[in-house]
Amino acid sequence: MSIVDTVADSRRLFVERPGTAAIGAVVGFLLLDLVVKLAGTSVFFLGFKLLGGALTVSSLASMVLDGILVGLAVGLAGIGLSMTYSILDFANFAHGDTVTAGAFIGWVAAYVVGGLGTGASLADLFMFDSGQQLSALTALAPVLLGLVVAGVGTVAVVLLVDRLTYRPMRDAGNISLLIASIGVALAMRYIIAFVFGTQTSGVATSGVQFVLLDLAGQRAVTITDNELALLVVAVALMLGVHLLLQRTKLGKAMRAMADNEDLALVSGIPTERVIRLTWILGGGLAGVGGYLLVLESGTISFNFGWILLLLIFAAVIVGGIGSIYGAMAGGVLIGLVDSLALIWLPSGLTRAAAFLVLIVVLLLRPSGIFGGVTTA
Amino acid sequence: MSQQAQRSDEVTLPAPEESLLAVRDLDAGYGDLQVLSDVDMDVGDGEYVVIVGPNGAGKSTVMKSVFGLTTYMGGRVIFDGTDISQRSPDQIIHEGIGYVPQNENVFGSLSVRENLEMGAYILDEVPEDQIERIYDRFPILRERSTQKAGTLSGGQQQMLAMGRALMLDPDLLLLDEPSAGLAPDLVTEMFDRIDTINDDGTAVLMVEQNAKEALRRCDRGYVLVQGQNRYQDAGETLLNDQQVRQDFLGG
Repeated sequence: MSIVDTVADSRRLFVERPGTAAIGAVVGFLLLDLVVKLAGTSVFFLGFKLLGGALTVSSLASMVLDGILVGLAVGLAGIGLSMTYSILDFANFAHGDTVTAGAFIGWVAAYVVGGLGTGASLADLFMFDSGQQLSALTALAPVLLGLVVAGVGTVAVVLLVDRLTYRPMRDAGNISLLIASIGVALAMRYIIAFVFGTQTSGVATSGVQFVLLDLAGQRAVTITDNELALLVVAVALMLGVHLLLQRTKLGKAMRAMADNEDLALVSGIPTERVIRLTWILGGGLAGVGGYLLVLESGTISFNFGWILLLLIFAAVIVGGIGSIYGAMAGGVLIGLVDSLALIWLPSGLTRAAAFLVLIVVLLLRPSGIFGGVTTA
Repeated sequence: MSQQAQRSDEVTLPAPEESLLAVRDLDAGYGDLQVLSDVDMDVGDGEYVVIVGPNGAGKSTVMKSVFGLTTYMGGRVIFDGTDISQRSPDQIIHEGIGYVPQNENVFGSLSVRENLEMGAYILDEVPEDQIERIYDRFPILRERSTQKAGTLSGGQQQMLAMGRALMLDPDLLLLDEPSAGLAPDLVTEMFDRIDTINDDGTAVLMVEQNAKEALRRCDRGYVLVQGQNRYQDAGETLLNDQQVRQDFLGG
């Protein structure tokens, strides 16, 4: 293709799809800027700095790694939100606090077991007050136990909440359910605050760092044992969800019910059992996601899930709400944007960048990346 | 050659035990809205019965009521000697009735094979031999078995919907407007397929817009008006009745 053709093509693009072209131009500018920054120079025009700055390959790689890690945990939590939306037909605002609940349940278990025999009192251990910090490598058994307890405990919490609030109003409209979920969210958050207080506690710290990339003159790119644990567990669980949905009878029934609830009913699929499985799976993954996020960040507080909820929603909507694969992909995309936006924006504005990407994706593909090809 | 069709109020109903499906004095609707009143209907073993009537007569509602999808308000639905009038669809499916809804009757995001598997959800094992029989009946489904149902053509989706409903080898198949939305040449093909299913021993109760063709092929027909029985007789007799033709079959 000759240059003339390319120019003609891009001119046509600008005329026919100005939105796409404008977004393409912005992305192109940012990429060009990124290349100039990596080269370590700046381009000035009439005295204004147009492009450039200083960014090393290593710090870029660290940011990408960070984004993927947070994105995986967000994606894990997003699966449940997406499933309740497609199978139960409502946006569950209590999902963020379910994430918090899972993290607290799991970390109490890990912290207590990890601190046994150190002389710290049980009360101090329960309240994360013994001053110890766990890491995946140095305290493998307690951290693994906490992971399992986080999953199982959150399932119990979620089933209890469903039994007490949502099941009696199964036939109510989705607005009623949504509002009920806001009530559940508040109740869960302040029960946690009542028990554990509103301070932020440090519970985890990295035990070992593995060097991934060590370029001369730059800070090495490393991954901690805690981050590695998050990576492995999140990827394994996503793979597990995929196999469950594609290979098992109940998984197929879940997809069928997400697809067409009336037809599922006339096919003899036990809808109440599928709903219970939805809560079990979604709740368990949310709890594990929360637990892993705390493992990665090191700190836990009563409202971190609530703060995270908007990001989870963004991930789920970007991916196409109702799609489980969309939630996974959307989580990683939003995590990457949230992390990489630091290259161009001050740290307080990275969340805004994530939502900007959400808006842009919705303008280009209103049903989300995986929308319209929903698989549950 | 005009024959007189029997008016429903002049018919003596058989004893309910004599029919595979016997509907007696059925009142049903949706929520507070009553659609059917005092509907009687019989489908014998292996019989092919069609319900015709103007729009809004409650034809589909009869079938939904048999399958437990409406609000029960009175009367009886007896299938194979058992009163199923107040059972839920997932209980009724165990009794040997298959139902093909009119719209959205396949799981679009599931593969063709997975759709068939869902039809046999209540069994412990996937019945491979039954899937093979369905594939033999509708060879196109075998070719498309891994394809998503949503990508099939309208006629193929209709076959898949029937295949799903046949997975449990029901004694009675309920078909809600199987020819709706199909191209004219496919309509004949669809009717031929229903004939074959019926010839193999499955009783059929069908609602059909394409009333003349349906009456020509069926054993017996019912004319339903405003939620009540009006006429019932052999399909050919209904077709040849001056009054029925004029009022309900467009002359």
